Amino acid sequence: MVLFPDYPLTTPRLRLRPFKRGDVDAVYDYRRRDVVALYLFDVALSREECALAVQQRTGQVALTEEGDKIILAAQHKESGSVIGEVSLIWRKQDARQVELGWIFHPDWQGMGYASEAAECLLNLAFEEGDMHRAMARCGTQNVTSWRLMERLGMRREAHFREHSLFKGKWDEEYIYAILRREWRQSRGDGVLASMNP
Amino acid sequence: MASLRLPIATDQLELTAFERSDTEALGSYLCNRDAQRYIDGLARDKQDVEAVLRQMREQVNLRRPGDTLTLAMRKNTDKELVGHVCLRWSDATAGQGELRFVLHPRHTGRGYAHEAIAAMLDLAFDHYNIHRVFMRCDGRNHHSAKLLEQIGMRLEAHYREHALFQGEWDEELHFAILDREWRPSSKIRHFPPRVRVA
Ligand SMILES: CC(C)(COP(=O)(O)OP(=O)(O)OC[C@H]1O[C@@H](n2cnc3c(N)ncnc32)[C@H](O)[C@@H]1OP(=O)(O)O)[C@@H](O)C(=O)NCCC(=O)NCCS
Repeated sequence: MVLFPDYPLTTPRLRLRPFKRGDVDAVYDYRRRDVVALYLFDVALSREECALAVQQRTGQVALTEEGDKIILAAQHKESGSVIGEVSLIWRKQDARQVELGWIFHPDWQGMGYASEAAECLLNLAFEEGDMHRAMARCGTQNVTSWRLMERLGMRREAHFREHSLFKGKWDEEYIYAILRREWRQSRGDGVLASMNP
Repeated sequence: MASLRLPIATDQLELTAFERSDTEALGSYLCNRDAQRYIDGLARDKQDVEAVLRQMREQVNLRRPGDTLTLAMRKNTDKELVGHVCLRWSDATAGQGELRFVLHPRHTGRGYAHEAIAAMLDLAFDHYNIHRVFMRCDGRNHHSAKLLEQIGMRLEAHYREHALFQGEWDEELHFAILDREWRPSSKIRHFPPRVRVA
């Protein structure tokens, strides 16, 4: 299965679309902040680093083989602003496994935008992408991130302690996951429907 | 790394290096499908077993990350081979090690695996200064899961359908233990009162 979605993907309030060269300033405005980088593998990025990242992301639009990534800009429909990004990584081809990721501008957090974008990406992965299981991981202290995973109906599958070093300190990590049948079940139950205004 | 003094003695076992003469005894449990889940080398026939044995006979110390130490488990009475344990030094900067074991189905239920794992944890933490040791186990293998819990390892992960193993959905448990969690219960580390006061 090769996944090459028809862009943009739309949600009630957002458009998810490939990155464009003109997105550098918007990306810099969230990636330059320490508070955003706190739990990311990267530190806060310079404008040059953002330009490079955006350039890379313009080509990350399809899954054709294991390891490929789809990274999309989340654009606020009403204002046109790029308020964050979501990612889908093809981890295992034979077992149809993907990993999800998200980064949003602090000014746009706490309003359900990340949930909306992530829900759309899960739907893409399970329906058009025919994936079997989606997982996401975060530092245990990254409460907003694992709350988002729980809101999506993901189950906590792992709690690793001191299994690696993260920015010079012992890491503690959660892994959450959801199977396609669980996703479909939760949609049928209308758990997420209540989130959409 | 200081050289390793073998054999390591436990109550019922000796942990030693493999010998060339172990082919037949090794083959008697290595060709078992369940035995292959978390060990290196698929063994179907005598030639495969010989290749695995050749490789394991070289795994006698941990010198650099990525190295594996493999020790044969032998009954201390008649030296019969009952299984083996492997310690892989998976990460040097974070001091991580993975422990695996295989036990001949005929020799289960006698506490051999428990003894061998405990001895390997002593070795990992005391001799190799590893910080955390983890073990994987098939989610349907309740015996192993119970054993690892009894040893004092924490269940850190329960993956469901995260991979395919020989064409079927896999379910995998991860258990782990940190050096500071192991030592208090380890019988060889009773600090004399003097040291505690200082
Ligand atoms: C992780 C991250 C994306 C989560 O963002 P978020 O804004 O908290 O997530 P959501 O969009 O789902 O918003 C949820 C919050 O909005 C509220 N909300 C308001 N309107 C909502 C709506 N219509 N639908 C859903 N939630 C809504 C929810 O109640 C929730 O608030 P609460 O946690 O106080 O209950 C964000 O914190 C971030 O970008 N962090 C920095 C980068 C990072 O660490 N990424 C993850 C690395 S693993």
